[in-house]
Amino acid sequence: MIDIPTVNYPKPWLLFWVADVLAAGYFYYALYRKWQGWSRGITRMPKEKIPWGRVVRIWLSEVLGQRQLWGLSSFRWVAHLFIFWGFIALSLLSLSSFVLKRLGDFGMDSGLAHFFFQEEGYLFIKLWGNGFGVLLLMGLMIAGVRRLFIRPPQQSNNQTDLFLIFFLFWLTLSGFTLEGIRVSLIPQEIARYSFFGQLFMPGGIPSREEVYPWLTACWVVHAFSGIALFVYLPHSKLMHSILAPLVIAMNAVEEHERKDLYWPDISKHRATRSPRD
Amino acid sequence: MARHLKTQGDKIAQGLTRRQLIELDACARCGDCQVWCPVYAQDPRECITARGKMSDLRRLVNGGLPDPERQDFLQSLYECSACGQCHIVCPVRINTPELWEQARHSLVSAGIPQPESQMKQLTTIKEFNNSYGKPQQERDVWARLAWEAGLLLSPVTVWHERVAPVLYFVGCTASFDPETQFVAVQSARLLQEAGVEFSILGKDEPCCVGKLRRMGDLDFSVEAQKRMVQITALGAGKVVASCAGCYKGLHSDYPKLRPEFRPVLHLTQFLDELITEGRLRLAHEVPMVVTYHDPCHLGRHNQVYDEPRRVLQAVPGLKLAEMPRHRAFSSCCGMGGGLKMANPEIQRKMAAERIREAESTGAEAIVTPCQTCYLGLLHGIEETGSSMRAYHLNEILALSICPEVTREEIINAFVRAAAR
Repeated sequence: MIDIPTVNYPKPWLLFWVADVLAAGYFYYALYRKWQGWSRGITRMPKEKIPWGRVVRIWLSEVLGQRQLWGLSSFRWVAHLFIFWGFIALSLLSLSSFVLKRLGDFGMDSGLAHFFFQEEGYLFIKLWGNGFGVLLLMGLMIAGVRRLFIRPPQQSNNQTDLFLIFFLFWLTLSGFTLEGIRVSLIPQEIARYSFFGQLFMPGGIPSREEVYPWLTACWVVHAFSGIALFVYLPHSKLMHSILAPLVIAMNAVEEHERKDLYWPDISKHRATRSPRD
Repeated sequence: MARHLKTQGDKIAQGLTRRQLIELDACARCGDCQVWCPVYAQDPRECITARGKMSDLRRLVNGGLPDPERQDFLQSLYECSACGQCHIVCPVRINTPELWEQARHSLVSAGIPQPESQMKQLTTIKEFNNSYGKPQQERDVWARLAWEAGLLLSPVTVWHERVAPVLYFVGCTASFDPETQFVAVQSARLLQEAGVEFSILGKDEPCCVGKLRRMGDLDFSVEAQKRMVQITALGAGKVVASCAGCYKGLHSDYPKLRPEFRPVLHLTQFLDELITEGRLRLAHEVPMVVTYHDPCHLGRHNQVYDEPRRVLQAVPGLKLAEMPRHRAFSSCCGMGGGLKMANPEIQRKMAAERIREAESTGAEAIVTPCQTCYLGLLHGIEETGSSMRAYHLNEILALSICPEVTREEIINAFVRAAAR
């Protein structure tokens, strides 16, 4: 049985909640405006019974496995898959940690909060966060190198796409900095589970009093950057992360039988080379 | 602001489906559409790509597309063959050909008409019931001339004279265009060789009006409904179309309006069946290396990839060499979607590109089962000065089954008849 010491540094919760509620309000308002725009269109319902089994299989392969991208470029597939899964896994971690902590506050967590934040579960959280964080960083670095140095001819000239890569990079890096300072306050045999975060640990053996102001500052930067992303999302290329899975599902309903679009026969219909090869 | 007053953007949005409006926001700007677009390869401007067109259309429906860009968008929307290559490569799976057709329709509804060259064609179709502006009485002249020239085994019957199990839907191009009438003659002869009992509609054969849909004409739905009623009332066991454009209209556009409308067969599918059943005997060797050009309307739009290849592989002595871009990645020759009318120069360049690709295979000829693609590829041969020959797939079969019914023989017979 291990016992994780509590690292309880001051956080400006009131400011955070105000900003968070405003950002969420704006995000949902922006989505509502988009919904209003889409609602101007014609509603067309599928004429045949929806083959849910096939649609789900297509969705899993196209969205979670991103098979189409794999077919077009394995290099881009790796970068995009790292970003996609890194982002999803870290968002899930943040969300579940938040929910578990709140449930723990009301004693409704059946001891899970204690297990994940004070006992062995903490090690799992460290491995999960670090593993997917590294994946996200690597994906963003590949995407950045491709955009800045390889510069493929089909690259969009929209400069906000590059800004988004940098923004996500900043968000991930600020998270690791926060993590590095945080794990400097826990025993090394536990901190080593934060295998990437510990690279950001400050040198020496700092006291809690020395570290807490830095932790607060890093938390503010990371948390408010996350809120800013929330506000920026409806106006950015990242909107496709919400809409592409939806469009893939909608198209799969109508085109589930197309073997030239979906597996298993897509390789038969592929060209032997791309026009740019 | 008085929101009840509809802007032009609102009107355009109202002509698109909700899914299409969502798709405009779902584009990931990856640019795969640009890599594979055959039009962009000839005119490298962002507004040509699917990504560019979607971005412009999104801004147009939201009221934020300034005038110079608006003009570019309108031009590029019609200078698109709607070949569907961008749909195939799109990681988001946006159904682009359907989007372009619906956007054209929607723009017309909102008072923004098609380019003049396309409007002229649409008026001709609606006025004459064919795209050549010729009297309907001339629709079956090819059949009479071919019989008189001894190119057929028996006269081709007209439906109102003899109801048959199979209706051969000839299409405007093979009926009227002197350069492609041989397709109709050879189709009829091949069906006769297989012992198929068929009739044609003759002067009653309507234009499929597929072009109305391609170019966003508002009358498409009404006109297509009339044709569905007419064709359904015939009660034909099978309807076979030899034109890829008619096939797309009858097979995939019509059932979207009336799901119970029975899909039709393309001639290559029917010929494949006849060969498999042993009803068509491919007796003569055709020692030739050919490459196959997938028509967009047959391949990407209707997934007919295997049947024409099987037909070619059944021809003794014939070798098939695939081009780098084949099947779902076949590069468009530029004849579809009204592009040829909007910008014939681009079409010629696209076809030339396709011919150069065909030459790279070492094949001596390029074969296609679509008379419109056949005409387009001829433009490519002219443009490049290539020694490559273009064949309609019927010609290859005719060389093996009835070698006396060649394209040249048919054209000469028709010229002699016209001179009389």
